[in-house]
Amino acid sequence: MEQVIANGLYLGAQYALIALGLTLIFALMNVLNFAHGQMYVLGGFVTYVIYGQLGLPFVVALIASAITLAAVGAMIEIYLFRPVIRKSHREESTMLLAAAIAFFLDAVILLLFGEKQRGVPKILDGVLNWDFRIIMPYDRIAIGVLAILIIAAFILYMQYSKTGRAMRALAQDRVAAQLMGVQVDRYSMIGFAIGAMLAGVVGGLLVTITGVNSGIGGPISIKAFMMVMIGGAGVVSGAIAGGFILGMAESVGLSVFSGYGDVTYLIIFASLMVFLAIRPQGLMGKPWG
Amino acid sequence: MGIEHNSDGSSKAKPAGSSLAATSLKIVGALLFAAFVLILVPMLINGAERWDLYYTLTSVALLSIASAGVWLTFYIGRINIGQAAYALIGGYVSAILVVDYGVSFWWTLPLAGLTCAVISVFVGLPILRLRGVYFAMVTLVFTEVAKMAALALPITHGASGIANIPLPGALEIFGLTLIPDFNTLENSRYAFYILSVTLMLLCYFMMYRLVNSRMGRLCYSLQQNEELASSIGVNITYLRLVAYAISSFLGGIGGAIFAAISQSVYPSSFAVADSINFMLNCFLGGLGYVLGPMLGTFVLYFGWDWLFQTGKYQLLIFSSVLIALMLILPNGLLSIRLWGKKS
Amino acid sequence: MKLLIRSALVAALSVGLMSPSLAENKLLKIGFVGVTSGPAASWGISNQRSMETRAAWLNETGGVKIGDDTYDVEIVSFDDQKDPKRAIAGMEKMAQEGIHYVVGPNVDDGAAAVRPVAEKNGIMYFPYAFPKELYMAPASNAVLGMVANYQSGPAIYKYLMENKGVKKVAFIAANESDPLSQRDGGVAAAKALGLEVVADKNTYQNDTRDFVPVLTPVLRTKPDLLVLSGVAPGNAPLLIRAARELGYQGLISTETAQDAQVLQEGAGELANGFISVGGASTPEIRTEAMEEFIERYTAMFGEYNDESNTKVYALEYILETMKANPASMASVEEFQKTMDTFEAPNIYMKGDAMLKYVGMTSFGQKRQVSVPMVVNEYVDGEFKTLFIAEVD
Repeated sequence: MEQVIANGLYLGAQYALIALGLTLIFALMNVLNFAHGQMYVLGGFVTYVIYGQLGLPFVVALIASAITLAAVGAMIEIYLFRPVIRKSHREESTMLLAAAIAFFLDAVILLLFGEKQRGVPKILDGVLNWDFRIIMPYDRIAIGVLAILIIAAFILYMQYSKTGRAMRALAQDRVAAQLMGVQVDRYSMIGFAIGAMLAGVVGGLLVTITGVNSGIGGPISIKAFMMVMIGGAGVVSGAIAGGFILGMAESVGLSVFSGYGDVTYLIIFASLMVFLAIRPQGLMGKPWG
Repeated sequence: MGIEHNSDGSSKAKPAGSSLAATSLKIVGALLFAAFVLILVPMLINGAERWDLYYTLTSVALLSIASAGVWLTFYIGRINIGQAAYALIGGYVSAILVVDYGVSFWWTLPLAGLTCAVISVFVGLPILRLRGVYFAMVTLVFTEVAKMAALALPITHGASGIANIPLPGALEIFGLTLIPDFNTLENSRYAFYILSVTLMLLCYFMMYRLVNSRMGRLCYSLQQNEELASSIGVNITYLRLVAYAISSFLGGIGGAIFAAISQSVYPSSFAVADSINFMLNCFLGGLGYVLGPMLGTFVLYFGWDWLFQTGKYQLLIFSSVLIALMLILPNGLLSIRLWGKKS
Repeated sequence: MKLLIRSALVAALSVGLMSPSLAENKLLKIGFVGVTSGPAASWGISNQRSMETRAAWLNETGGVKIGDDTYDVEIVSFDDQKDPKRAIAGMEKMAQEGIHYVVGPNVDDGAAAVRPVAEKNGIMYFPYAFPKELYMAPASNAVLGMVANYQSGPAIYKYLMENKGVKKVAFIAANESDPLSQRDGGVAAAKALGLEVVADKNTYQNDTRDFVPVLTPVLRTKPDLLVLSGVAPGNAPLLIRAARELGYQGLISTETAQDAQVLQEGAGELANGFISVGGASTPEIRTEAMEEFIERYTAMFGEYNDESNTKVYALEYILETMKANPASMASVEEFQKTMDTFEAPNIYMKGDAMLKYVGMTSFGQKRQVSVPMVVNEYVDGEFKTLFIAEVD
């Protein structure tokens, strides 16, 4: 049982970090970024090339992933989302644009990095073995702790920095924020860049544990949507809660239902549908985002 | 033939005379189109000896039927990424009834649609309250749930799917053969083509009627403002359910015929990718036009095939075109025609 | 990118060089219907490239002599996007082009969906899919292009029982049609051999990135052998690493082909001892002709793919059977008659191995190409051959 909980916590920490960037973008612009998973993959490949192929320190690679994705995110916001949002009044438009961007990034990643699964050397060797009750490799522990630290840093930044306060104001009421002198365009761009950057950082972190391959962007996006939905779209605490809940549900579900095998994910998905039908705003969200 | 809504939704307020002329023009156009696809296209295919086109055009017809359903949910202001689930359910209902219970395909076809409609009522009742990305995400999850259920349930034969489904037999009423046994036909592809295209014409005709009926205008009011519609006495719950049930019915029909053509159905026969494609078809053709999904399906299907010659750049070009379309033509392909008309 | 430009140049050049010879010989079209785009692209791409490499090679050396005529081989390809609905369109296209011999599709649902078209239009097709009903009567036109898991599985389990003392075996598979079917086949085979199956219900989503939660309950059953049924090459290293890091000491095996470099990057030395079924042309048994094939493939496309070790064979079988009975060029009935007695030397494998059709035990009729079944063990970045067997 300790093992199951430890697995769930580790899984939850990484999920929560994935969900953070997605929920930030949603909160600021009411855009569900379908390309979030692809950004994660891109971040993973940047770290793969710099740390795995060029042999530079892992921290350098991680920073490179963050910068690359922040730039990509900012450009996507300025050149694609901004004009489309300005022109169109249908909510569908931004969703379809996001889906098209996801396809585009998929294609670019496939062309640049190929279709094979890639991995990098471990950042830490050795395994923690607590009397065979909890077995966890040190690198997993390190990544899990790092993930939690980044989440904490992000919350502090949103809470106390000027940019963070501006973005929170924007998320609460776009028009009011604008009237109070918040530069909407500027902070939308910054917010999108930070959201993309977070995706890139998780990709870079996790490439050391699970590697990366060009086909997983879409599934990662879908998982991230599920966490955001559970917690409540557009709410930071909700994304964190959603991540940990999904991680725990997977870990516990796979153990409890292991005798029934094929139905574990069916149950998780079906209960998610039921949950959302009863409580569409998720655990902590406001109705309709 | 597309219907056009002005921004205030009052496109119907035109002088009676011109509206009559426009209506008869539309009827003539529709009849010409029907004659074209049912008579001329087969003649051209036989003349050019391109028999493979029968199947590809049949595919387009069936996919556009399912897309029409998605379009209808767009019409009530919902982004539906769950149509593949109903296509899969439809395929399985037909296959199970034909293979395990020996029911004639012609009975299973409406049953497949109806089963989907009934299921959609139970699914729709809670989830149709959701809007925007919430509805979109739940329907996306529903596509996955359908696939997993097909893998896990004993009645679907699990992972091994259902193969070797017999071709549709004869449809007889009071000894009168309405539709011949497909096994005895020299070219069952042609039969499937006629079947699918006829259903497609029927589907779009009904859709056109629906959209231009009182109910259609009420549905349009949902797209604009649900609270307002509700406050003036529109039963929005009922309307949404009916629209969603019709949508799912169409998905089930499309899936059932696909199962009959491929004579097999697998949990992966309709997947998330199909759900997304249905949505893209609608968007590409134009969300404001009844015929949008038909045109969108046609262009997307053959466009993707045509891009095959670009090899590994296929997806890159495809997605770039999609993004460009979003930027310069956000209302779909059919909006080009209307620009031309206005200027 | 450089690689890309180079391979494009080579391809363009080779097309240019080939065209004069095309004019002299008659043209023989062979089809390929499979997945060459999307996440599973590598399966079909290795097929298509193997066929194109071999065709270019044959054409360069004067073409193929069948009966009284000499032919140049042209490969007609269709990408089915791993969608059974598209696969049917592909088979229709082949029928339209008058093609009677097609390699593919790559997956179960596609192979089942194209069957009506193939049988109606007189097309023999060579799928890489395992469902037995495709190859058993009354089905007649499909020929399995590789060794099936229900053939390699028992051989591996038996070897491990006898040599490593394996008694308890656990299975884990992705929650998708192909892997689940393979798992069920594997479980049945293990039980038939008298092994104790301690876990046979555990599945994972194909997009799982962290396999620790999936493996935790499986490994609690303390198996001697963990079978990764139908595992995708991308997932194998993750599963192996998670199992080893959870302290699992036993054996791990799979019945699908894997990629050594992917294992090296993803699991490193933790993957040592991992048993898989290799391509049919490992270095120990390949001839100079096979070496030349690999060279030509690399020259044309930049990077060789180990999967082509098996996929080189389907086209060879089609052409050699036609040579044995030229009437089969236009008639698959003639082809099917020839299959029962057909034998030709195998130019890719050392020794006196023959090309012949097999499958009597599994399908009751000869509907499978005979390729050597090579069982590998991964050791420090490369595969070492454990044993080689044959399917009957």
